[in-house]
Amino acid sequence: MAVGWGRCCSSRAGPALFGFFRSLLGAAGPPPLSGLRAGRAAAGAEMSRLGLRMHYFLGRSSVFSFPKIRIIFWRLHHTTTPRTCSCSKTVSDERYKDPFKLGRKDLKNLYEDIKKELLVSAAELREMCEYYFDGKGKAFRPMIVVLMARACNNHYNNSGEVQPGQRSVAIIAEMIHTASLVHDDIIDDADSRRGKMTVNQIWGERKAVLAGDFILSAASVALARIGNTAIISVLTQVIEDLVRGEFLQLGSKENENERFAHYLEKTFKKTASLIANSCKAVSILGCPDPKVHEIAYQYGKNVGIAFQLIDDVLDFTSCADKLGKPAAADLKLGLATGPVLFACQQFPEMNALIMRRFTLPGDVERARQYVLQSDGVQQTTYLAQRYCHQAMHEISKLRPSPERDALIQLTEIVLTRDK
Amino acid sequence: MGPWVLLRWAGCCSRLLPPAPRLCPARGGGVRWQRGLFAGSPSTASHWSKVVSEAEKIVGYPTSFMSLRCLLSDELSNIAMQVRKLVGTKHPLLNTARGLVYDSRNNLQMRGLVVLLISKAAGPSNTAEISFQHDMVSGIYSSQRSLAEITELIHTAFLVHRGIVNIGELKSCDGLLKDMQFGNKIAVLSGDFLLASACTSLAQLQNTKVVELISSAIGDLVQGIYYDHSNLAEENCLTRDIGIAAWEEQIFLSQSALLAKSCQAAMELAKHDAEIQEMAFQYGKHMSLSHKLHSDLQPFTKEKSSDSVAFSLNSAPVVLHQEFLGREAWIEQIRKAQSKGNLMDFTQLQDAIKAGKGVTSAIDLCHYHGNRALEALECFPPSEARSALENMVYAVTRFS
Repeated sequence: MAVGWGRCCSSRAGPALFGFFRSLLGAAGPPPLSGLRAGRAAAGAEMSRLGLRMHYFLGRSSVFSFPKIRIIFWRLHHTTTPRTCSCSKTVSDERYKDPFKLGRKDLKNLYEDIKKELLVSAAELREMCEYYFDGKGKAFRPMIVVLMARACNNHYNNSGEVQPGQRSVAIIAEMIHTASLVHDDIIDDADSRRGKMTVNQIWGERKAVLAGDFILSAASVALARIGNTAIISVLTQVIEDLVRGEFLQLGSKENENERFAHYLEKTFKKTASLIANSCKAVSILGCPDPKVHEIAYQYGKNVGIAFQLIDDVLDFTSCADKLGKPAAADLKLGLATGPVLFACQQFPEMNALIMRRFTLPGDVERARQYVLQSDGVQQTTYLAQRYCHQAMHEISKLRPSPERDALIQLTEIVLTRDK
Repeated sequence: MGPWVLLRWAGCCSRLLPPAPRLCPARGGGVRWQRGLFAGSPSTASHWSKVVSEAEKIVGYPTSFMSLRCLLSDELSNIAMQVRKLVGTKHPLLNTARGLVYDSRNNLQMRGLVVLLISKAAGPSNTAEISFQHDMVSGIYSSQRSLAEITELIHTAFLVHRGIVNIGELKSCDGLLKDMQFGNKIAVLSGDFLLASACTSLAQLQNTKVVELISSAIGDLVQGIYYDHSNLAEENCLTRDIGIAAWEEQIFLSQSALLAKSCQAAMELAKHDAEIQEMAFQYGKHMSLSHKLHSDLQPFTKEKSSDSVAFSLNSAPVVLHQEFLGREAWIEQIRKAQSKGNLMDFTQLQDAIKAGKGVTSAIDLCHYHGNRALEALECFPPSEARSALENMVYAVTRFS
């Protein structure tokens, strides 16, 4: 399996990838999808006992699980449906030009409803909590969540309407995401986000941390009010993953292969877990079939990882104006993301820079130049494509509906976005 | 998991470090260690400790909520490692950690203990199925023991988050900017880690009403701390013009809501009816209000002690004193105490307050809340656990 996939990569991404992924995946290969979740749960319980090593294995198997055979299968399967076949091909069909259109009606008043959850009497605290809910965000997460809700409802009983509980999940997902942004900005000492000053820059760290905590508690109250203990467990997992992901970001690995697994695990926990588990939550509310829950989870996980990989690419290729935050921000924080790790394959002298977290003067610029000279950007993009293919493959198992197709379409938007 | 986690974490730095480095005098509340609710002063602490250690015996085992799962977690070792790097800096997180080790006698795990005691005092409900009752150890359900841990985790998480520093306001005496940024980073992360652990345990209780109650208590706590911060910011110039009613509201948020709602949730977990839940809530609320009044009163009721001079201008006796005196006269008193330079002469101010009616009426208020707490307990049948809860009230309403 591992060899097969390695070959598949090498055909397009060059020999550098070949040995790299092969060694990453090891001889074991990824577990079958159905066993994955049970394995994850069991591994979680065992994890503390076995410590870091287990952690690693867990990361590798849960995040880096490309069933290669399925990808090949996907290709065969989809040759009959050319519309969704190629990621890079732009879709001509008018109807699918804007997948967001379908979700937009469900997201009307999204931010107003979020503000209704943030009941605080102190005016300043409320202003801090509402700061990022200004309607200027992409609302990418709520969009996926409502589309997934409709797709699952449709799959189960042909009724596309979003249930109130499912809409709450969309709201909660955005709230948890925002709360983590507020805390991340304190941790990173960031001064701008989405083109405006960060909460900690305006109000100071002491108050900013409380704003994040408050948004989280309000999300938690809204979560409890859905009245379903399974949904509570699924979304609480996100909160735990976000913190663990932040811890992973704090540490680094010397071994190159471990470093990549570490990076992908961090990516899963910090970004993909929220999308995967919110998708799973709405599928549980919409359809009793566990297979559908797994499809929703896998779709969210793969799209989420792809989303973050592209985010990491944009940190090198986009300018500060478009991003709403400084470019090369990750390097400045000492973080070696996908493009850097791939570039390091070509330029081993980057190892020293990665190890010292780009702390010496000139390190950031040197690393940036190495990355741009290498094919790190292309390889990361390629990896993101693989994840998007997998996401498409998963969601294609649902019964066709405009929302399902919009979710397929969305994987392409994830890849082609420039901000 | 529970505060043991923190002990281990705190232990890592305190072993290496030595007597507390002196912090700069609090300016604008920047670097300032806030004590937990249950930190009493030495003389009253001995009585309090006795009541507590008696109570601990009743709940089966001392309330050291040790959990192997958490003790062995990667994240915890990571935190411990990072906190060690802070040794030698002036970040308040170090003091938080140190406080958890050295003050553990009096302020640690009190909330958890109250939750366990009230669970035991209430016992199983009549409606509970027989199979459900097998889950009891020493008259307490395992879900209630989890809840006690969760309550402690949340409290500790906010002790950590309270100690975050405003980078923009740092002065040169506060140490290196980098150290403070790093300290903030670790404080945000470790607080979040404790909160996330609490959320996970909470989800495992499989009770949506309990999740809602405790989540709303977290929201209350955040608002309460926010008010504390706002008050502190003005402390050195003037106190805010708040009456005792507003004071009680704020203290409810920052000190009582968590305990009150945890007590209520403990009843919900044992399927007790709304009335019992309400009484448990009332006990938690009034007991912690009277405790707060008791500790606010310490600098004013003790005979003569050199270390009792510092007091908060937002403490209950001062707020009441201001109410009796009127805003104008109070501002005048503060000006007088500040006459020598900009430093406040706390001894002079203390004498002025002692001479007024603020202190006695704060004592009355403390007794009032104590009585309300005792009344709430009447809905439970007499038992060892109920007596222990009563003794806690007696301990915090005693002033001699």
